[in-house]
Amino acid sequence: MKKTKGIPMFSPNRRTFLQGMGAAGLAGAGLVPGRAEAATSMKFMCWEGYDSPAIIKPFEKANDVSVSIDLITDSPGGFAKLAAGAWRDFDVVATDSPWVQRMGPAGIAEFLDDGEFADVYEDFYPQFRAPFAPLEFEGKTTGLPTRWGWVGPTVNTKFDKLETWRSYAPCFDPAYRDKICVLDWGDWPIMPMALYAGIDPYKELDDKELNEIRLVLRALFKNTRAVVGDLSVAQKGLMDGSFRTLIGGGTYCTSALRKDGQKDIMSIVPEPKDGLNQGIIWMEAGGVVKDPVDGAKANALLRTLTSPEVAVELAWTEATCNLVPSQKAEALFTDEQKDVLQMDYMWEAWDKSHFHNVAPNMDQMLEIWSQELAAAN
Amino acid sequence: MASPIIQATGIEKYYGTYRALSNITLSVANGEFLALVGPSGCGKTSLLKILAGFEDLSGGSLIIDGQDMAGMPASARPTRMVFQKLALFPHKTVAQNIGFPLHLAKRPKSEIDTAVRRMLELMHLKESYLNRYPHELSGGEQQRVALARSMISQPPVLLLDEPMSALDAKLKKSLQAELKHLHRHVGTSFVHVTHDLEEAMMLADRICVMRAGKIVQIGEPSEIYYRPADAFVAGFIGDTNLLPAKITRAGEGFEFSCDILQCSAPRLGADQVAAGVAAGADALLMIRPEMLRLLAPGESADCTLAGTVSEYFIRGASIQYRITVADTEIVMDVPGTSVLPAKQGDAVQLGLSLSDLFAVEA
Amino acid sequence: MAEMQKSWRDGALRLSTLPLLVLMGLFFVIPLIMTALLSFQGTQYYRLVWTWDLNVWTDVFSQIHYWKIMWRTLTMALVCTLLCTVLAIPIAYGMLHRLSRWSDQITLLMVFAFLTDAVLKTFGWVLFLDRSGVLNGTLESIGFPPAAVNVLFSPNATMIGMVYNLLPYTIFTTALSMARIDRDLVLAARDAGATRLRAFVEVTLPLAKPGIWAGAVLVFVLSLGVFLEPKVMGGGTSPLAAELIRQSFETRVNWPLGAALTLVLIVIGAAVLAVAGALAFWQARRGSND
Repeated sequence: MKKTKGIPMFSPNRRTFLQGMGAAGLAGAGLVPGRAEAATSMKFMCWEGYDSPAIIKPFEKANDVSVSIDLITDSPGGFAKLAAGAWRDFDVVATDSPWVQRMGPAGIAEFLDDGEFADVYEDFYPQFRAPFAPLEFEGKTTGLPTRWGWVGPTVNTKFDKLETWRSYAPCFDPAYRDKICVLDWGDWPIMPMALYAGIDPYKELDDKELNEIRLVLRALFKNTRAVVGDLSVAQKGLMDGSFRTLIGGGTYCTSALRKDGQKDIMSIVPEPKDGLNQGIIWMEAGGVVKDPVDGAKANALLRTLTSPEVAVELAWTEATCNLVPSQKAEALFTDEQKDVLQMDYMWEAWDKSHFHNVAPNMDQMLEIWSQELAAAN
Repeated sequence: MASPIIQATGIEKYYGTYRALSNITLSVANGEFLALVGPSGCGKTSLLKILAGFEDLSGGSLIIDGQDMAGMPASARPTRMVFQKLALFPHKTVAQNIGFPLHLAKRPKSEIDTAVRRMLELMHLKESYLNRYPHELSGGEQQRVALARSMISQPPVLLLDEPMSALDAKLKKSLQAELKHLHRHVGTSFVHVTHDLEEAMMLADRICVMRAGKIVQIGEPSEIYYRPADAFVAGFIGDTNLLPAKITRAGEGFEFSCDILQCSAPRLGADQVAAGVAAGADALLMIRPEMLRLLAPGESADCTLAGTVSEYFIRGASIQYRITVADTEIVMDVPGTSVLPAKQGDAVQLGLSLSDLFAVEA
Repeated sequence: MAEMQKSWRDGALRLSTLPLLVLMGLFFVIPLIMTALLSFQGTQYYRLVWTWDLNVWTDVFSQIHYWKIMWRTLTMALVCTLLCTVLAIPIAYGMLHRLSRWSDQITLLMVFAFLTDAVLKTFGWVLFLDRSGVLNGTLESIGFPPAAVNVLFSPNATMIGMVYNLLPYTIFTTALSMARIDRDLVLAARDAGATRLRAFVEVTLPLAKPGIWAGAVLVFVLSLGVFLEPKVMGGGTSPLAAELIRQSFETRVNWPLGAALTLVLIVIGAAVLAVAGALAFWQARRGSND
């Protein structure tokens, strides 16, 4: 449902923020040439990374548009903003896939014609080709996938064997007391714990099942050293061994460390337990917001975001590195990059995971989370 | 003389390399009222702070009430200070302010109360003021509260740092009289810093004139006034005419010659020449304005001057004349009368007695 | 007091406060009213619905954990205020009188530290306090057992961070108040026989009261809203009110709930300030009638 990749002030990459400030200052002083001369101006709501000039500038040039960016700091917040009326101002959005899917029922999505994007789907791995259920609402397509990864235990093999984390059991082992770090990223840490408790959190839950989730979270908090919202604190603990695992993280947390040469650090997916997959596949997607200024150009931006060349840009950013749905892009990665992204493991992870989707009882689970956290200390 | 209450010997005070006080030797007798006077920056306030213990000595010794003050904090000294800006505690009532020293000494409440009321009476303050705060009082009343606070524990020495400088002239006069009265009544030694010489002459038993960190002269007011140690003291105190003259020794006394002064027998007694004046050297003859008088035509005097009235000021009890004699302006005070003895532009003849002359070093 | 009453009757003076009044109205009262109105609405499918009901308030009053977090926030804020106030007094005094030669340098350093990004400073503390951090490394090198100080990710670490980040407020207000005290008043107390400590208690402290109060109120209000310290230094396991409100607004996209919790926090804070103000007023009146 949500992943806070750092509230702006927590952001591991403050550079962009400062650049933004600088640009705002310059623009205010009239020093940056206005983009008004472009034929169309578009508004694009997205996560940090999608706003890279390497992606946006060529698109603007090729399509004679000016794109103004609105960075998301949390996906529910971005959705709430659109739903509250901002959809009228925006043309394209790139956020976590459940929120792109939710634009459908919310009536703020411009549905896509799969036929028009057939060539795009052609470049995707078969798993992401249309019809792609995670981005459909009533059979209509709400968006195209852009980035993905998995949520599972993160392991520093300097301190633990990979086998140890074939299950979430150590999270509840007294031997790991005070060595577990939970990421405060909305529903991401809740889902794996529900799955460990034998409950599929993506289906409608009854009170008994919700209570099971309560109990598993209570048990988790007993062993938890910290609930952190910031990537760098979590990564630091993982490197120095004070956190033996990060719960609710996965590739999104470890890829940048691997990029920096910390190959001892990996994200894996536990083995299925009692017939239930334990991993979660998360995905980001781009969608067109209802009534864009120029539908063709909005579609063009989606094409750009999903093109193999841009996919590589999106995969490889400073703060985090992630997989992309584009199969064609695979050839563009170096072996080193493939290793960093754990590409040899990705389909195994996929097979042992649930797809991170809209969960009907999400709000109750979040409430339980905060109740248990309040009671934990 | 009984042993002094304050004995300062060779006191030195440096601020960094600046020598604020040099070789101050001074004693104050028990019960004496000593005024420290001098222009600003002369070191009088520094000396007072050293006495109070707010400043350390750089050299010399200080004995107050028989105790060596070396290393003794202000709180333990037998002195109390009345501050220039009074330093009444704004958050304490009049009663709490006055009783503060006894409160610190942990005296019983009833004793403090009695003492506060006694001080109130002594200072002519109304009892209804007890629960007021200092800012609710007039300047003169605040002054009295400050005095009362300093006197309540009957200190052997009271130090006053120009406490009346902020008051208007009339209030000042009446408080000066009260202070003098108070001093007689309580028998405490007062050391009073002021730049107002008139105030010092009026109040003090002795005056200590300071300049540039040194003591220039210590003496009774009349001595300071009529027998100043040098031109600085002469000029610092009141209006003075200083006429250049030559002094030569003549037997027991001296002879002098002064261009604008015509004397039948220009002689001075040995006590009419300041210590520093060397025979044969240039000197200045000091003539106080009130020593001059207008001569009626044909009237004679020991010495005379002829000049023209350039200006006059009617000052009530006296009339001040500015008279040009040769190129020199002479100031003369004559008793006030309803009929002006001379007007602007009048040619006048002035006279004075030889015995009123005093010579200081040029 | 008389002057204050008079100022209320001064028409020109009242007129001159008009811009401030308008500003306060625009940027404080109106948002507050909007927040209050928001708390009577509902959320459906991550969207605000204008329901005008008491559902959110029923929820607020039936969930103990909200109150538990509010209570924790209040006690943390009070302890932080007390610590900041008590620590600031000797620091401000020392800065002004004992280290007055370096007072400019100290002030400069403090201003630098104060203006440095709070996030950076807080992360600095994490690196310093960590089990494998600078502090423990230093302690170990002088013979302490490894990880002797295990304070990071605990409420105590939150408190350290809060006091560190908020202490400058009380130091500055207290120092400002102390600097305005006429030095002669302290000398007068010393002259009257007071030791340094006694002069401090009798004169400096009571006269610095306005600054001490101002600092305490400022720190109390700010500490009710701390966010970074419990999250980063406290390890997020003892969330305070600001985090609860953030979660309601952001993670749960439940604006009415967030609004209601915000109001609860404001009311608690205002009530504490009102009680403290009444106590101070009562004490001052008793003092003057003494």
